[in-house]
Amino acid sequence: MFTKADKYLAVILITLAFLGIGLNVYYISGDNGREKSVAVIVDGQIVKTFPLRPGYTGEFRIDGPHGYNVIEYKDGRVRMKEADCPDKICILSGWISTPPQQIVCLPYRVVVKVIAENATDVDDIVR
Amino acid sequence: MDKTKRLVLLGLLVAMAAALHVVESQLPMPVPVPGVKLGLANIISLMAIVMLGWQDAVYIAVARVGIGSLFGGSLLGPAFFMSMGGALASIGIMAYIWNNYRGTFSLAGVSLFGAAVHNITQVILAAVLVHSLGLLWYLPYLLIFAVPTGLFTGFAANYCFAKVPGAFGFKN
Repeated sequence: MFTKADKYLAVILITLAFLGIGLNVYYISGDNGREKSVAVIVDGQIVKTFPLRPGYTGEFRIDGPHGYNVIEYKDGRVRMKEADCPDKICILSGWISTPPQQIVCLPYRVVVKVIAENATDVDDIVR
Repeated sequence: MDKTKRLVLLGLLVAMAAALHVVESQLPMPVPVPGVKLGLANIISLMAIVMLGWQDAVYIAVARVGIGSLFGGSLLGPAFFMSMGGALASIGIMAYIWNNYRGTFSLAGVSLFGAAVHNITQVILAAVLVHSLGLLWYLPYLLIFAVPTGLFTGFAANYCFAKVPGAFGFKN
């Protein structure tokens, strides 16, 4: 009941997946050394950016129509510290520190993204 | 298959699929990639395609996602649309492969196609929902786990057919 074509399909899928992961890792390592910053995006709009470097510590709270998210940044890393979303996948994602890593809170449409450019000095950007 | 028998079979499959959907949403997965699932309800979709055809498989999937997310509390939320999109897309590809390449691919292969397309659809839907194309980088990590889970559901469906009475007229 397990045919040759099944085996080829499984091998092709795994190969493609590893190729993708290789590309992803290569892409991540290529961006090292540059100044990093974090962009907080809600519903496709950047609501906040801040630099990501050692010694720069703090929290940022988002209050949406459904609930809240608390983002913590500390020593060049950022994570979703708290959220009252149902699945908590964003919290389980843990710390991220290199572009283009990102944390996604799908229920609240929140994306926390590490980008390789300087953060602006203004507090808020409205687009 | 007469009308009554088909109706009973449809009802049973919807009930089983909805139960599996609810159980699965409570099941923790011991993997480092969030969002990986076994795809238990896919066993029923696969069985429905084989026993009743793709139209009935679609009916069952729509009813299953509706009932399942009603119990899970995610009705009409983003998780609902991702479940629905994934389920319909995987039924589409599985029915196509089953109808056209039955001998080449066994149920396990058909299920692999379903699992891969399920993941691809969900990542694309998620990327659209959060307006972030970077989310597509997540796909390879999901695809790695799609292979064992896809094989698992394929073998599970096959095992079900080996155990149920031969009245369904299925032979593999």
